[in-house]
Amino acid sequence: MNTIFRFALSRTRGQIIGWGVTIALLAWIVVWFYDPFKEQQQQWIDLLKTFPKEIIGLFGDLNEMFSTKGYLDLQFFVFLPPLLGIFAVLAGSGLLVSDEENGTLDLILAHPVSRTALLAGRGLAFVVVTVTILIMSWLGLVLPLGASSLTLTPGAAALPFVSLFGVVLFFGSLALLFSMVLPSRKLAASAAGLLLVVSFFVSSLANFVRDLKGAAQLSPISYYQSASAINGLNTGWLIGLLAGAALFTGLAGWLFQRRDIRVAGEGSWRLPFVKRRNPRSEVERGKA
Amino acid sequence: MSDTAVMTQGLTKSYGRVKALRGVNLNVKRGEIFGFLGPNGSGKTTTIRCLLDLIRPNGGTLRVLDLDPQAEPVAVRARIGYLPGELRIDDNLTVESALRFLNALRAGQADWNYVQHIAERLDLDLKPQFKNLSKGNKQKVGLVQAMMHRPELLMLDEPTIGLDPLVQREVLHLVAEAKAGGATVFFSSHILSEVQEIADRVGIIRQGVVVEVAETDSLIHRAMRRVSVRFEEPIDLDVLARLPGVKVLKRDDGTSVLLQVEGKMDALIKALAAFPVSDFETERPSLEEIFLAYYAA
Repeated sequence: MNTIFRFALSRTRGQIIGWGVTIALLAWIVVWFYDPFKEQQQQWIDLLKTFPKEIIGLFGDLNEMFSTKGYLDLQFFVFLPPLLGIFAVLAGSGLLVSDEENGTLDLILAHPVSRTALLAGRGLAFVVVTVTILIMSWLGLVLPLGASSLTLTPGAAALPFVSLFGVVLFFGSLALLFSMVLPSRKLAASAAGLLLVVSFFVSSLANFVRDLKGAAQLSPISYYQSASAINGLNTGWLIGLLAGAALFTGLAGWLFQRRDIRVAGEGSWRLPFVKRRNPRSEVERGKA
Repeated sequence: MSDTAVMTQGLTKSYGRVKALRGVNLNVKRGEIFGFLGPNGSGKTTTIRCLLDLIRPNGGTLRVLDLDPQAEPVAVRARIGYLPGELRIDDNLTVESALRFLNALRAGQADWNYVQHIAERLDLDLKPQFKNLSKGNKQKVGLVQAMMHRPELLMLDEPTIGLDPLVQREVLHLVAEAKAGGATVFFSSHILSEVQEIADRVGIIRQGVVVEVAETDSLIHRAMRRVSVRFEEPIDLDVLARLPGVKVLKRDDGTSVLLQVEGKMDALIKALAAFPVSDFETERPSLEEIFLAYYAA
């Protein structure tokens, strides 16, 4: 498992730098922008009041917009689940299946590596990459705080990222599970991505659409605290998200143990209305 | 420890309605080179992948080096070297880093000096990135990784495909050396001349069933032969056609005939003694012809 873990980590340097630096820069800009933003507080409130209430709902409480919590929520933390969710969905869906689809999994599993060790090594690498990205993002937020009038300690600033960690793992493991049951990585990533987007909008719109409040309770993003974690982390929500991630990962592992590893280009079961595009698999199965 | 390296009994595997394996029975002895022949889609690769626990059969029994590959897959694979039919490795790795990674998966079992030795014999440069290699050089990487840890059992799916004749010869030498070192070699190939050259025994699979397993020499010797005879004057060729095991393949004006003879030649030779024969040639079929005969049947 150690070799698998190290190798998987080495392949993700680009992702760590790309996502980590991008979000860190975003955080930096958000912190830097607070003071100029606050100076124009009244003008912003007057402007936002002209927007439809559905749009205002996405911003939360307008009066809170200029507090530390409200500002960081509105400008930064509220967008992190869909943003990092993209990373999670792509990484999770490709954890095992991308190598299977490009034919490299065959050779790895022809070595003395158990399927459990493979999943565990790569899963651990995914967790380490996620934590590294979150730490870089946190640094992007806390390093410029000294030059800003935002009142936030580094410890308190870390708590929303801890909550975000649960969301990222939840959607990453969901995408992994989908990759074990759907015919391709693309379909798995699309399905998980769709759920991510729907979840985000349902949670956001539920702030002012009463009919969505019930549905919002089913949305994983509703259990993401965003900047309100600054005032205290809801460990129950975090544990719930991590438990969901553990369940999906366990199910995915169980399916992976029982799965036939496909030869590159072989394809898998297909949706009934989609024609098989790879004639090679027909020849291999003796149909040609 | 039994003297069987690979055993399958009643092995079946279906993909939906397609039956890839319909009861494959194989018995590969330790220390032999076993050639596994069959056309595309006959079940060769499916059989090999079942033995490696990459896919799970629907029925039947499997044993590899006395172990059940489904119950003890890691233990089985620790003792095997496998060359896939289509080798795929992370394109961005160099040859050396790919081999070091694969060696690390085996807890560093391979001696790096030996890795370099095989690479040198196959004329393989370890420096380039895998994606920049030609098909033949990629195949060489596959051979090195399969052999570098000196496994007890080599499972090679089309080992010489894409290689030039000199390197093909070197591969056959390496396989022979592996056997001399006590390894068992189980390989599939479409290059029947090389199977004929090195395999101790051959198994022929057709539509998911093994139709023949025999020693290579025995298979060739007991198969039908072609006999070409030229006479000094026209004769009644029906005399020859009525001999047991003899079939006339081609005849002209009665002075030359091409015959197919199954079994002993004695009756034909005694019959020919009555005629003025000017030329007599006999030819054993190649393994290719025997192989094709199974598919024409």
